[in-house]
Amino acid sequence: MILSPAERSYLYDSLIQKPTIRPDSRAEHQMRPLEAKTSFLPGSNGSARIRLMDGSECIVSVKAKVVVAAKEANLIECDVDVVGFRDNSNFVSNLKFNLTNLLQQNFPSDYLRLTSKYSFKLFIDCIVISHSSYPLTLISLTSYLALKTTKLPLLVSETNDEEIAELPTFSDDWDNAKPIADYFKGKGKEFQPPIFITLGYVGSNLIFDPSVEEEQVLENGLIVTFYNNKVITPIANMNLAVNSNNSNFKGLNQTAIIKSIQMGNKFGGAIIRALDALIEQDDDNDAIF
Amino acid sequence: MNVSDVISITRPTPATIDSDVDMSDDESTQVKLSIVTPGEMVTDDPVWMKGHGTYFLEDKTYSSVAGNISRVNRLLSVIPLKGRYQPETGDHIIGRITEVGNKRWKVDIGCKQDAILMLGSVNLPGGVLRRKSESDELQMRNFLKEGDLLNAEVQTIFNNGIASLHTRSLKYGKLRNGIFLRVPSNLIVKSKNHSYDLPGNVSVILGINGYIWLSKTTNSSHNKNMTVNSNANKINASGDPSYVPGAGSVAITRLEEESSWEIYSDKNDPNITNSVRSNITRYNNVIKALAYGDLGITEQRIIMGYEASMAFSNVGSMIDKDAMESICQDVINNEKMRG
Repeated sequence: MILSPAERSYLYDSLIQKPTIRPDSRAEHQMRPLEAKTSFLPGSNGSARIRLMDGSECIVSVKAKVVVAAKEANLIECDVDVVGFRDNSNFVSNLKFNLTNLLQQNFPSDYLRLTSKYSFKLFIDCIVISHSSYPLTLISLTSYLALKTTKLPLLVSETNDEEIAELPTFSDDWDNAKPIADYFKGKGKEFQPPIFITLGYVGSNLIFDPSVEEEQVLENGLIVTFYNNKVITPIANMNLAVNSNNSNFKGLNQTAIIKSIQMGNKFGGAIIRALDALIEQDDDNDAIF
Repeated sequence: MNVSDVISITRPTPATIDSDVDMSDDESTQVKLSIVTPGEMVTDDPVWMKGHGTYFLEDKTYSSVAGNISRVNRLLSVIPLKGRYQPETGDHIIGRITEVGNKRWKVDIGCKQDAILMLGSVNLPGGVLRRKSESDELQMRNFLKEGDLLNAEVQTIFNNGIASLHTRSLKYGKLRNGIFLRVPSNLIVKSKNHSYDLPGNVSVILGINGYIWLSKTTNSSHNKNMTVNSNANKINASGDPSYVPGAGSVAITRLEEESSWEIYSDKNDPNITNSVRSNITRYNNVIKALAYGDLGITEQRIIMGYEASMAFSNVGSMIDKDAMESICQDVINNEKMRG
């Protein structure tokens, strides 16, 4: 994506205005509209798909497996596949690292424990079918939906297997399966996976969810993590215009980081509420197109 | 704070399949009428010649695209409903330079092959009319470089389908002071004129290839008419003996005065007000809404959509699906009322 010098300077001048004027007239805290669908893959425990108006699309599938807890380093494993990029490319491994790191640190995987010996292990597979802007937010919102709608089969055997060694057995009836959220509720905790919010820094403005044109003129990009109704670490900065050299790219003023945390705290909750509202509305009709 | 101010999430609308479609194939010996889909048999009569958009298997002709059947004598072709832009001579288009080559630029105009802009088909700075020399060849990047946007006219189509462009008029050339967007090319209705001044001090160029340029209205576009008028006045007042045709008048193209290096400058107008900038974004959203509703894009519809968009105090909410649908509905209703 190359912009002509005139386009670039027009866009930059518009974005640094106060209040900022974005090309699609979004407010600085406004995300692009999404179209989402959950639980449509028959072969996985949880699935979700998000599409954007510009044709970006991401599908996430969550699968669970019973493992011997002591033999596993992590009870969550993520894989990211971006169409058009090699799996070992920098771009894909960065996305994969970000997502894995986020979930391994902030996902209370103790709750996945079945018995003292056995546990569930979650495999989160993300496919980005097409994307224009940096896809980390897209991936994290889709995996939020997928994790929230993941159902795990009902355990019928004893939870205490310290004396008698036995393999966990599950109810044959899939209708008995419980959403992951129920495992948490029993322990008095709300289940809410963490998400990433991408922000662009230009002039002294911070803009949510920059589009691909906006990314080209940003002075810096910030990735903020939102979990349990507040911004947490990791907070990272990076050049979001990955496929071209961004001549505007500069260092980051520390006040921008503070402001990004404030904005994340203020508006992140709305994103979570919108995602939760969608899950509640989503019925089981199979229309995914 | 309202959740919809931050993000809007919708569910996909299920595709409605009309089950009443008559699937019977009794008239398969004749050529079917109207619309066909890819892989659908058009005819099993081998006398037809196979044209564009068709393929031939075991004495039967099938459609390879979704579109209308067209028959010219014995030639059978399918004209696609949607697809890449197909250039025609005389089209006013917008393109982006992709490559600077030997005496030519390659230009992306959204068709199958990149178009060509020959060094000989552009105006030189200063408007000097002469053969292009080797020194012009060496400074081609000073005129146009990779990424630059320009509007141009299709001069000819070569045998291999590549379009050749020219910018030999002051209304063509490099684009400044605005933003670019693209819509499917089939939505642009061909007309005599493709650049318009819209209310709110905004100009639009609707390239026939579906590339659209929204910018601040510059004064020169008004002067153009003025110049022509003043010339016409002089000619009309031919009672004046001092008037020699061509002498006192400004040259009709005003090439010398206007095409200094400025025509290839990358500098935007420094005085673009915030209201013009927000009008441009509003038009941007209106055009995107029209494209979302699959409505043909014309000057009138853009203006009607702009007026309908005034109902949205917060222009940012216009990017939601519902808002775009309501704008399209408003435009359609408005057209119905006007008849």
